[in-house]
Amino acid sequence: MLNAFHSPQSIALIGATSQIGQAIVRALPMENLNTCFAVARHQEAASLSLKQILPSRTKLREIEFQAGDTQSREKAVDLLFAEGDLDLAIIAIGVLGNDPERDESANALDVMNVNYIASGHLMLLIVERMKHQGHGQVMVISSFAQTRPRVDNFVYGSSKAGLDFMARGLNDTLIGTGVSIHILRPGFVRTSMTRLMPDAPFTVDPDVVGKLAVKLLESGDTVGYAPAILKVVASIFTLLPRNIFLKLSNRK
Amino acid sequence: MRRIESSGWGRTLRSTSWEFEPHSRSELQEFIADHDYSRGVITHGLRRSYGDSSLNIGGVTIDPAFLAEISFRPDSNIVTVGAGVSISALEKVALTHKLFLPVVPGTGLVSIGGAIAADIHGKSHHTTGSFSAYVRRIQMLYSDGEIRDLYPEGPSMDHFWATVGGLGLTGIILEADLQLIAMNEPKVIVEETRVKNLEEMLSSLSASDERFEHTVAWIDLSGDFRGRGIVGKGNYLPHNLLGTTPSSLTSQTIKESTTLPFPKIGSKSLINKFTVRAFNEMWFRKPLTNGISSIDSFMHPLDRIQNWNRVYGNRGFLQYQFVVPEGNEDFLGHVLKTMKDLGAASFLGVLKKFGEGSRGHLSFPKPGWTLALDIPSQIDHLERALNSLDAQLSARGGRIYLIKDARLNPEFVPIMYPKLEEWRAIRHNMDPRGMWQSDQSRRLKLC
Repeated sequence: MLNAFHSPQSIALIGATSQIGQAIVRALPMENLNTCFAVARHQEAASLSLKQILPSRTKLREIEFQAGDTQSREKAVDLLFAEGDLDLAIIAIGVLGNDPERDESANALDVMNVNYIASGHLMLLIVERMKHQGHGQVMVISSFAQTRPRVDNFVYGSSKAGLDFMARGLNDTLIGTGVSIHILRPGFVRTSMTRLMPDAPFTVDPDVVGKLAVKLLESGDTVGYAPAILKVVASIFTLLPRNIFLKLSNRK
Repeated sequence: MRRIESSGWGRTLRSTSWEFEPHSRSELQEFIADHDYSRGVITHGLRRSYGDSSLNIGGVTIDPAFLAEISFRPDSNIVTVGAGVSISALEKVALTHKLFLPVVPGTGLVSIGGAIAADIHGKSHHTTGSFSAYVRRIQMLYSDGEIRDLYPEGPSMDHFWATVGGLGLTGIILEADLQLIAMNEPKVIVEETRVKNLEEMLSSLSASDERFEHTVAWIDLSGDFRGRGIVGKGNYLPHNLLGTTPSSLTSQTIKESTTLPFPKIGSKSLINKFTVRAFNEMWFRKPLTNGISSIDSFMHPLDRIQNWNRVYGNRGFLQYQFVVPEGNEDFLGHVLKTMKDLGAASFLGVLKKFGEGSRGHLSFPKPGWTLALDIPSQIDHLERALNSLDAQLSARGGRIYLIKDARLNPEFVPIMYPKLEEWRAIRHNMDPRGMWQSDQSRRLKLC
């Protein structure tokens, strides 16, 4: 339950090895935080990082799961609500689809499965439970890439666009339920996942994203960008004629 | 049932629940017996609990307003009163029978059910104890749909004392028998003293407790936070002074209480260090009352302005009320210093010395000093500072008043309330279905 300061008491980080997810946890108010669920495939790595972030009095509950497995997702969500109310769920699973050991179509399938199907399914399952408890916030990590298809990442962008679309639609059904979805659209973030890629304009570190995510939760707004300037850039991108947009997005 | 959004008196937390407004006991009984919903049920009174004691997000809240009967017994000071009746309403009727409640809180807008569920106290605690000392019977609806009578002694005593101060988590209080005191004239002889600092305030309160039935101090929470303030003391007007004007009371003024509505100010808070400083300076310098006051004006100063909680704007405020055992007076100074460091100026700070506590497992009062501070919730670093004070308080054998709480960490509850485990066992026995739940019971892991 939230306290008078609206500080969460119980949170879940799904995709607990995500550096963006961890940065969001780091930026959250910790004074009231009693339980943090770390939901991840590689539990050891997730716990190791989160132990450094969380206060010693916060209980770290480890839940191992396979994002691509429907039953594993359902079981994980059951466990999230088994001990009582959950105040905040951060859905931070995602892949870029750039595994050099897999071919293009296998990578694309991964991206669609994890970024859209698994994330969307988790969101639906969690929202259903939160509606029953009458309160809760879900933070969904979308992407600036969902703004408009680009030749270099349209599969990734489409998976995030689908998730983003579902989150906005679902959030509209939640008016009056006490539950809300908050969609964060980060641009290029320097993480281990993007370490081999060159910086793009408006590149930020995970901690900047974390702070903006918490600001988004506190404001109650549905959509936020990280950094905030990307909101303006997204508006321009949407309006640009195709030939100009292609020239810009193909520039290396 | 209808969906409602409600909040506690502090307005920091909002909660949406399904409100059930029964019109009769049988309707309520039937509803409870058939109820099967995991988010549970809690009864609310007049919503004067500051935090989330009466909230039940996603669950059911019950309005006991229909429990409005008051019946006096001839040749007895016992009254049977419905749980939905307010203290103020009961006082008015009782006075027509020349009776009065021995324990009344700073506001009369508390329901009888709420008064029992919080085991409230008043300025008279050092002489009368808390509300439960005058409750002779509680009639309660259990989660199995049965109505039972509970008494402070005998086979039902465990259930009685778990219900007293039990935050509504043992069942729905339907009615109670209360022992009243004789009151020929609803007036109080009041004496006020200005004190310059905390030390003076403590010694004035201690000395006054021997001579006065009612004592309380207003403490100035602004400026240098040294604990200056006004100590108010009062005794019921004795029978032999009725209809006379003793020379010692020549400056007396009969004060009748008036109620003013709080103006609509929008969502902004009017509280800042300048407005508080100005108000407190004026209040500290106000002409002292030394004379006869109406009982209502003396007992319920908070009721002079309706909805005064709106002064803090939409963000709301906290009341930090604790009791710390005697011998820990330095802690009171430490709290004042902490408030000063935070810049947490407040116009409402109340200090009182408690007498003996009650047998209620979760009853708040215990011997020592109780300090209540209203604090705007948006003060920077307030959450951390109060958590730190809680840790020190629990180490000194003190406790937080749960009916005022909206932010305590659950780890402190078993330390502050050592009978918590015993209470849990009795509660489980009374409510094996786990029906009675509130946002506070979930937040503090009470059940």
